Amino acid sequence: MTPKNALRYAYYPGCSLHASAGEYDLSTRELFKKLNIGLTEVPDWFCCGATPAHNVDELLSLSLCAKNLELAEQVEGDLAVACAACFSRLKTTQHILSESEFKRQQVEKAIDAPVPLNGNVKHLLDILARDLGLKRLGQAVTKPLSGLKVACYYGCLLTRPTDVPNLDCVEAPTIMEDVLQAVGAETVAWSHRLECCGANFTLSRPGVVVQLSHAILDSAKAAGADCIMVACPLCHGNLDIRQKEIEGVYGTHYAMPVFYITQLVGLAAGLKADKLGLDALIVNPMPLLKEKQLI
Amino acid sequence: MKKKKMLLSAETMDISFVRKVEALSGTSVRRCFQCGKCSAGCPMATFMEHPPNRVVRLLQLGQWQRILAGRSIWYCASCETCSTRCPNKVHLASIMDALRKLSWDAEGPSKESYVQLANKLFLQNIRTYGRQYEMRLAAVFNVKSGQFLKDLMLGPKLITKGKLKMFHQKNKNMTEIEKIFSRIEEMRKNGEAL
Ligand code: SF4
Ligand code: SF4
Repeated sequence: MTPKNALRYAYYPGCSLHASAGEYDLSTRELFKKLNIGLTEVPDWFCCGATPAHNVDELLSLSLCAKNLELAEQVEGDLAVACAACFSRLKTTQHILSESEFKRQQVEKAIDAPVPLNGNVKHLLDILARDLGLKRLGQAVTKPLSGLKVACYYGCLLTRPTDVPNLDCVEAPTIMEDVLQAVGAETVAWSHRLECCGANFTLSRPGVVVQLSHAILDSAKAAGADCIMVACPLCHGNLDIRQKEIEGVYGTHYAMPVFYITQLVGLAAGLKADKLGLDALIVNPMPLLKEKQLI
Repeated sequence: MKKKKMLLSAETMDISFVRKVEALSGTSVRRCFQCGKCSAGCPMATFMEHPPNRVVRLLQLGQWQRILAGRSIWYCASCETCSTRCPNKVHLASIMDALRKLSWDAEGPSKESYVQLANKLFLQNIRTYGRQYEMRLAAVFNVKSGQFLKDLMLGPKLITKGKLKMFHQKNKNMTEIEKIFSRIEEMRKNGEAL
C-alpha cells in the first residue's frame, strides 16, 4: 500500500518518448518506481504541437496544450513532463492564458471546455530536486557515480521563456548539477550548457544541427567531461544519434556518451543496465561505465 | 553584389502591418534601442541575412517586405535567447512567431521552403495521428523535398535500436483533435480569430 504522503503524478511522456527516445521513457518509469514516486500516464494525451505549431499558429499551439492540460485533470497529482520542449510549451500556455483573457476565451472556444490554469506542470528534474529533494535522493543512492565527470546540458528550452515562472534561473541554472552531485558525480563547468542544438531543424536543415551540435560537443570535450547529460529527447537525438555524422564532417573523434538524467540517477540508485535502456544509446556508454566501475 | 539603397518614404513604410505583428506578439517594436544584445546571443544569426536586431529595426521603419522576402524568420530556432536577454523586454521570439504566421497565412514570398514543408507535415501528422510519427514524418519529408536518400544511413541502425517505430498506434481522441482544428478554421473564417 502506498503511504498517504507518497508522491504521485500524472505523466505526460510526449511523442518522442514513445518513439525515438524509448529509453528515456523506460528509465523514467523504472527510476520513479525505485524511488516510490507514482506515475500514471495521462490517458490518450496527444502531441503538444512543439515548435512547429507555435512557429506558425499560436492559437493552434495554445489549444493543443490546453487540451492536454484538460486531459491531465483526469489523473490525480501534478503533471510530470519529461521533454524540455513539451514542458516549455505547456508552461508557456498556462502563462499566456492566465495573462490574456482574450486568448483564453479563444482557446476555450477552440477546445470547447474550460482550461485548467492552476494545475502544476513540472519537469522531472524539478520533481527529483525539489519534491523528492536532494537529501532523499542522496539516501536512495547505492552506487555513487564517483569519478564520473559530467557536462550537464540544459539546452535552450528547459529554463525559458524568461517571463514564464520556470524551472530555475534563466542564465545560470544549477538544478542539473545539484541532482548529479547529490548522486555522487562530478560536474564540469563549461560554456555551452545553455546553447541551442538546433532541434527545430533536424528534418529541414540538418546542416545547421551538425554545426550547432558540434560546438556543444567540442565545448564539453574541452572542459574535460567524460559524458554529457540531457533532460530532453530532442537534444539527445542531436548529440547522440548525430554524433558519428558530426565526427565525420569535422574530422574529430568524441566517443562521448550522452545520457538521460534518469539513466544516470537510475544507475546510482542501483538499477541494472537493461532497466535503463543503456543499449539503446547510439554512442556506446559501456566502455566508460566499465572503466569507472559503475557497471 | 551591390546593396540596394533603402528609401524611406510614406510609400515604402507600411505601419499597419507592423501593428498586426505587435498585436499578435504582444510586444512593441518601439521599445528597441538597437543595442544588439539579441543578435549577439542568437545561435542562428550567422545563417540569417537580417539578424534579430535588424528585424526589429526594419519593423520600426515599416520595411516588413524586406524581412518576409528573406529567410531570416525561417532560420530562427525559437530558442528564446533573444527575448531572455533583451534589456527592454522586446519579446523577439514572439515577433518571429508573428512574422512567420503572417507570412505563412499570406503564402508570401520566402526563400525558405524546407522549414515550411517540415512544419506543414508536422502539423498534418498531428491532425491525422494525434501524435508525431517520426518515421512517417521523415519519409514523407524526403519524398516531398526530393531528397530520397537523405539520412538513409541513420535508418537501419535506428530501427535495430528500436528508435524508429514502423507502426503507429492511433490516438483514441482523434475526433477531439479534428474538432480543435476545424473549430479554429471556423473561427478564422468568421473573423473571430487572427
Ligand atoms: S536586445 Fe532588445 S533592445 Fe537590444 S537590439 Fe535586441 S530587441 Fe533591441
Ligand atoms: S529565438 Fe530565434 S531570433 Fe531569438 S535568439 Fe533564438 S534563434 Fe535567434
